[in-house]
Amino acid sequence: MTDSFILGISSGSACLVTCGMVMFPYLLAGSANVRRIISDLTLFLITRLAIYFILATIAWYFGQALFSNKIVRNVVPGILYIAFAVMLVWYSIGNNRTKECPAKIVKTVNNHRLVPIFLGVVNSLGFCPALFIILTKGATEGTLVQSYLAFLAFFAGSSLWFLPLPVAGIIRKKEVLKTIGILATGLAGIIFMIKGITNIIGGIING
Amino acid sequence: MDNILISSTMKKSFGRSLVYVLPMLLLTFMFMTGGRPDFSNLSSALAIGVTFLFVNILYFLMHYTGKTDKFRAIIFIIFALTLSFTLIKNMLEVRSSMSFSQADILECKIPFCHLVIPMMILPAAFTNSIIFPGSIIGGFADISSMVVLWLVATLVLGRGFCSWGCFYGGWDDGFSRFRKKAAIKKLSEIWKWMPFAVLIMVSLTAALTLIPTYCDWICPFKAVTEFEQVTSVESATKALVFVSLFAGLVVVLPVLTKKRTQCSFLCPLGAVNTISNKVTPFTIKIDKNACTECFKCVEVCPLFALGKEEIKAGKVSVFCSKCGKCVDVCSKNAIHFGIKGIPAGVMKNFSRNLFLFVSFLFISVFSAGSIINMLQSFFNLIF
Repeated sequence: MTDSFILGISSGSACLVTCGMVMFPYLLAGSANVRRIISDLTLFLITRLAIYFILATIAWYFGQALFSNKIVRNVVPGILYIAFAVMLVWYSIGNNRTKECPAKIVKTVNNHRLVPIFLGVVNSLGFCPALFIILTKGATEGTLVQSYLAFLAFFAGSSLWFLPLPVAGIIRKKEVLKTIGILATGLAGIIFMIKGITNIIGGIING
Repeated sequence: MDNILISSTMKKSFGRSLVYVLPMLLLTFMFMTGGRPDFSNLSSALAIGVTFLFVNILYFLMHYTGKTDKFRAIIFIIFALTLSFTLIKNMLEVRSSMSFSQADILECKIPFCHLVIPMMILPAAFTNSIIFPGSIIGGFADISSMVVLWLVATLVLGRGFCSWGCFYGGWDDGFSRFRKKAAIKKLSEIWKWMPFAVLIMVSLTAALTLIPTYCDWICPFKAVTEFEQVTSVESATKALVFVSLFAGLVVVLPVLTKKRTQCSFLCPLGAVNTISNKVTPFTIKIDKNACTECFKCVEVCPLFALGKEEIKAGKVSVFCSKCGKCVDVCSKNAIHFGIKGIPAGVMKNFSRNLFLFVSFLFISVFSAGSIINMLQSFFNLIF
């Protein structure tokens, strides 16, 4: 669960860095009172959690079908971890990040009440390297409950970054927070690279 | 000529320097002997005597020569080396190995170090428990005394703890002095925010798992203190991470860059100390009237605390550890130790004397135990 949580933290920071500017105004637009902001944020987070549970289920059933052999169960995810971790580190380097946020589609939604739900779906399905890694992890867990727990930890880690949203206006050093978020993303990439190498070696030795 | 005259203002005469050393002589003697000197054991008496002389000569030279960093570095590096020696010796005596087993964890026999502190805060707040498997009070390197020592030091010295109290900092400080000129001159300053990313990661994961994750997976100093017994691929990977980080951030990069890269780019406690730098009374001040903007101080700063922007603005950043390197290199005496509330360029000598007294007393008392321990082992071999 720890690594899923770490990944969540990194993914959340990356989400905020890329999509923060799109999401802030929509989540907070016209919401003068804190109660409205909190209810929108809750709806947004619940949607994300629901999507993650669906992804956990799909990933686990795929994993059962694909990784039946013990060596394959360790080595293939190990390779995937390394590949996605490299992508995560690559992504954390400034020039390689996509400047466009998928959440921009939200502009097409007119109903303000649907915006948090729509943002939740777009945000959780934004296929970034971190999501690929957690999908790999979900696919290789022993039971479906473990897969849910991995996604839950991922959700918890990534959601931490959204909690200060209601007070986003009073945070002064946004650039510094952005830098720390990006570095955390790169750090998570390195952690999963190590995990991938451990998986491969462990798989070969114990296979 | 003008430069020499100005730079000599921190120097003192032989007699005056001796006067400044007197209170330090008294206090260090008290702390080293515990107030009850016992000279019945020759090697113990010799070890205490040599340590006592050593620290007080360094303090005298700081006043006599007007230089700070040169002499601070000597005790700081020796502290790091002797502490590692003491830790390893203690572990070899207690468990005949530098590695610890699961049984040692269950019996809470792991020596505590200050780097764990940021990870203890959240679990302690939410669960009223301490997540480190060490002795809470009493015993070797217990948790309570280390936390109290760190807390006092960080409130008084701020990030000065990283240059005057941390028993690991001496490693990369030492290696950063190996070459005369840096082989890598440009490093992106973005990396100085990395300790905050590490701090967030390790604090939250420790709160979630109730395991000190930094010690478990990252700490480079495991390579020179203690580490988990290698019994699986996972523990082997951990050992590899410790050794690689030690080699990279504590040895190779400091040698190539002349910067303290482990302290600047990894240490989560450094990030906490950076925050406490805001409350400490001591600081480094820039006298804009005397500064010629030669930027020599920027070049020598080992922790990326000084940039051209900071010099132009006349204010050092919160990353400053008050090591005194910039102060020593400034021929115009424009950058100096100061006290918050007193304007730059005023009471330079008073501020330096007060800071040196507090910080040097801390490092000399804190380091004395391990220096004496190592010397005693050495004398025991001879006699």
